[in-house]
Amino acid sequence: MFPARKPTRLLAAFGLVAFVAACSSTPSTTATPDTFSVWDPYPQFAAESEWAKTIDKCGTEAGVKIQRQAYDTTDLTSKVLLAAQQGTAPHVLVLDNPVVSTLAEAGVLKTNQDVGLDASQVSPNLAAAGALNGQNYGTPIGANTLALYYNKAVLTAAGVDPAAVKDWDSLNAALAKVKAAGKKGITFSAIGTEEGTFQFLPWFWGANGSLTDLPSGKAALELWKSWLDNGYAPNSVVGNTQTTSWQEFATGEYAFAENGTWQLANAKKAGFEYGVIPIPGRTGGTAPAPTGGEFVTVPAQNNPDTEKKAGRIASCLTAPDKVLASDTALTYISAVPSVQQQQVAANPELAVWVEAVKNAKGRTGDNLGTKYPKISQPLWGAVQAALTGAKAPEAALRDAQASAK
Amino acid sequence: MTSWRTPVGVLLTALMLFPVYWMINVSLTPMSDMRKSPSLFPVNPTTEGYARVLREQIPYLGTSLLVAAGTVVLTLALAAPAAYSLAKLRPAGRQTLSFVLLVAQMIPGIIMALGFYGIYVKLGITNTVWGLVLADSTIAVPFATLILTSFMASVPDEVLQAARIDGAGPWRSFVSIVLPASRNGMITAALFSFLWAWSDFLFAATLDSGGRLQPLTLGIYRYIGNNNQEWNSIMATAVVASVPATVLIVVAQRYVAAGVTSGAVKD
Amino acid sequence: MRSRLAGWAFLLPLVAYLAVCYAYPLFTNVDLSIRGYTVRSFVHGGAPLVGFANYATVFGDPTFRTALVNTVLFTLVSLFFQYTIGLAAALFFARGFRLSATLRALFLVPWLLPLIVSASTWAWLLNSESGLVNTALKVVGLDPVNWLTSPQWSLVSVTIANIWIGIPFNLVVLYSGLQNIPREVYEASSLDGASGWQTFWHVTFPLLRPVSAITLLLGLVYTLKVFDVIWIMTKGGPSGSSTTLATWSYELGFGNMLPRFGPSAAVGNVLILIAVVAGLLYIRMQRRQELS
Repeated sequence: MFPARKPTRLLAAFGLVAFVAACSSTPSTTATPDTFSVWDPYPQFAAESEWAKTIDKCGTEAGVKIQRQAYDTTDLTSKVLLAAQQGTAPHVLVLDNPVVSTLAEAGVLKTNQDVGLDASQVSPNLAAAGALNGQNYGTPIGANTLALYYNKAVLTAAGVDPAAVKDWDSLNAALAKVKAAGKKGITFSAIGTEEGTFQFLPWFWGANGSLTDLPSGKAALELWKSWLDNGYAPNSVVGNTQTTSWQEFATGEYAFAENGTWQLANAKKAGFEYGVIPIPGRTGGTAPAPTGGEFVTVPAQNNPDTEKKAGRIASCLTAPDKVLASDTALTYISAVPSVQQQQVAANPELAVWVEAVKNAKGRTGDNLGTKYPKISQPLWGAVQAALTGAKAPEAALRDAQASAK
Repeated sequence: MTSWRTPVGVLLTALMLFPVYWMINVSLTPMSDMRKSPSLFPVNPTTEGYARVLREQIPYLGTSLLVAAGTVVLTLALAAPAAYSLAKLRPAGRQTLSFVLLVAQMIPGIIMALGFYGIYVKLGITNTVWGLVLADSTIAVPFATLILTSFMASVPDEVLQAARIDGAGPWRSFVSIVLPASRNGMITAALFSFLWAWSDFLFAATLDSGGRLQPLTLGIYRYIGNNNQEWNSIMATAVVASVPATVLIVVAQRYVAAGVTSGAVKD
Repeated sequence: MRSRLAGWAFLLPLVAYLAVCYAYPLFTNVDLSIRGYTVRSFVHGGAPLVGFANYATVFGDPTFRTALVNTVLFTLVSLFFQYTIGLAAALFFARGFRLSATLRALFLVPWLLPLIVSASTWAWLLNSESGLVNTALKVVGLDPVNWLTSPQWSLVSVTIANIWIGIPFNLVVLYSGLQNIPREVYEASSLDGASGWQTFWHVTFPLLRPVSAITLLLGLVYTLKVFDVIWIMTKGGPSGSSTTLATWSYELGFGNMLPRFGPSAAVGNVLILIAVVAGLLYIRMQRRQELS
C-alpha cells in the first residue's frame, strides 16, 4: 500500500537523525579561540551598560572578542558546575566571594599564579575569600557590605540623635522612642537563604559569636527576636529579601534599615533625607559586617595560553589602575585601598562605606573555607525558627550547630 | 433564563482575575510606593515600567511566539500519529506506552534540563531556538498524546471500516478521517502546548541563556538583579506578554467548544 | 498483521522521541542518586557508587517526614479544591450564555503569566505588612495574619495560590467532558422529574467519571511536581513549614551554595515512584472499567 509508506520513510529519517545526533560528538578543541566568554551575576546590566562596555574594552586590549552572559547569582554556581562538567566553562568568571573556595577546591578555577593575576594590592580582609591551601584564586572586583540606613525625618520627629547609637542598648532605646512616636523601627532580611545569614552576621559577630560555635552568638538572635516581640521590626522580615526590606524602608515609615552599599543609588531616589551609620557591636564599636561582592576568576580550560589570555582580561577588570572604571560601573567600593581614597575624594558620602568595608570580615574566613555553606544553611534555619517562635533562640542555635557538624 | 448567568459569570471571572488586576496595579506603581499600605487603584500611576518594557522587550516577545509556535507544531506532529495508533490501530504494548507517558511527565523539570544540557553541549546546540523548542515539547508531548488518544477513540470504528473497504490505508484514514474529526482535540492540545512553552522559564534559563534569541521569561530576568528587583518593569513585562497570548486564546476558544476528552466518555 | 505493523509505525516517532528525550535524564537522575557526588567529582567524574546511602540519608533526615506530610496535604487539598471549583465553573459555563465563551477564555489568563509573576503577585497580596488581604482583614476588624511568615499559615497560603493556578486546567478539561454528554440524557432525566441536583448526582457525575479520573491523575502528577510557586513565595519556609518533596529536592541540589546532588536526586526519585504508584492504580481502575 502506497500511502502507508510515507510515515515509514519519515520514521527512518527521524531514527537516523536521532542516531547520528547521539553518536556524533564535538572534537575537543584546544586551540585558543578568538571569542572569550565572560559570565557574571549582573543581569541588571544590559549590553549598553557601562559594565558591559568595560568588559568589551578589556577584551579589545587582550585582542579578543567578548561574549558576555549574565545569570542570576543563585543560578550562576550550578550553571558553572554544569558547564565545567561538560568542558565548556566560561573563560572569565565573575563569582560571589563565598563560592570561590568551593569552586577552587573542585578544581574548576586556576590559581592567580598560573594565569598572571595579582591580588597583592587588595586589602587582606577582602582577598581572604579567594585563598585556599596557600593559593589565591581570583581578585575581588570590588566590595560591598552592610550598614544601617536611617530616615532623618523619622528620627528627628522621635527625638533620636543617630550619632548616639553606639551599641545595642542605645539602638534599642532609639527604637523604643521611634515606636512611641508612632513610626516603625527597623527592617531587615531574615529570609531562609544566604541573604538571611548575610544580614544576621553583623549582629552575630557583634555579639562575639563564632561560626564554629553557633550558640556563642545567641545574644544576637535574642536581640532580633525581641525586636519582633516588641513591635520594633515587622513580622515580614522573616520572608524579606534585601530588596523587599529596602522597599519597606522606602515607604518612609521606618527609622532604620539594614542594607548594603548597592542601595545608595536607590536611596537618592527615595524622596526623603537619609543617613548611614555603621552597625554597632553589642557593647559598642563597629560590628564586623560580612564582605559582599564578587571575585573575577579564571576557570580551567586545558590550554595554558587560553587561560593566560583570560587572566589578562581578568587583570584588566581588577588591576589597581583600571578597577575604578569597574567599581564605578557597579557602584561598589574598591577592594584596593588607594582606589578607595580616590572614590572618597570624588564622593565624600562614600567615607562611611569605605570604613565599613575596612572593618568587614569574609564569611569563609577563620579557616572555614568550603565548610562555610555547611554552617550558613543551618544558621539561617535557626534564625527563622527563633523568629517564628518555633524554637527558643539558644535551642535553635544549638540544634543548628549539631546539624552542621 | 440565561440572563442571570452573564452578570454572575462576569463577577466570577472578575474574582478569578483579581490577582491579574493586582499585577496591573503594581505595574503602574512607582518604586517608592511599592510597600506602602495598598490602594485598590494606582494613585500616582507611572508608565515608567511600560516605557522600559516597550523599549527593551519587543525582540523577546517575538522569540517567545516563535518558540511557542514551534513547540505546538512539533508536539502535534509527534502526538497525533501516536494517538491515532493508540486509539485505533491498538498495537500490543500500548498500555505500557500509556503508562510510560504518565511517568515521563513526573521527571522533575530541573533533571530534564540537566540531562538536556549535557546532550546539547555535546551537540553544540545550546542557545538555539529549535533546541529550546525540542526541550519545551517534552512538557507537552505526553499530555497531548494522552488527550488526543481519548479524542480519536471517539471516532466511530464503522467509519474507518467503511474507508478500509474503499481501499484507504491507515495513513489515508488518519489524514482524511481521524484528523479532521478530532480537530477540537488538536486545538486543545495545541493550546496547552502553546501555554506551557510560553511560560517556561527553566529550560530557557538552562539551555538558551546565552542565545541571541531569548524568550520573554528570560527578558524578565533583566529586572531581577543581584540586589535589586524592579517590580513595575517585571509586572509590565508580564502584562505586555499576556496581551497577544490572550487574544490568541480567546480566538482559539471558539474551536474548543466540544471536548478535550470526548472519547473517554463514550468508551 | 499489516495493521499491527502500521500501528507501530505510527508510534515509532513517539517511542524514539521518548527514548531520546526522557531516557537520558531519567538515567542521570538514577545515577546521581546512587553515587556519592562531591562538587569535585561532579565536575571531573569518578564519583564512587554508594548504593542506597543517599536514600538512607534522605529518609533519616527529619525534614523528610515534614516534607512528605506537607506534600500529601498540599497535593490532596489542592486537587480537591481545583477539581470541585473547576467542575462547578464548568457546570456553570456549560449552559451557553452571552459572553460565556469569552469569559471562559479569560479564565485561562492565569496560565499565561510566567510563574515568577503570578507567585510574586500572590506573595504581594499576602504580605503581612503591606498586603491587600491583611488590609482588608483590618477593615472588617480582624487581626492580621502572617500568611507567609508563620509556620501555621505558610502551607495554607501556598496551597491557596496553587489552587488558583490549577483551576483553569480543570475547567477546560471538565467543560469539554460535559460538552460531550449527549443532550438526550438530560432530557430523559428531566422527563422523569429529576431535580437539578439529582440529575447532576445520578447522571452527569457518573458519565463524567472517566474525564474526572484523567483530570485528577494529571492534576496529581502536576501538583506533586510543583516547586516554583512554593519556592518563590516562601522558599519552603519559614523554617521548613512549607517544604514539600519537590522544593526539598531543589533546595538540596540547587538552593544552596554547596549542591548535594545525590540526596537531591534521591528525593526526586521518591517523587517519581509516587507517580508510578498512582499511574498503576489508574490503569487498574481503567481495566476494571473496561471489563465491567
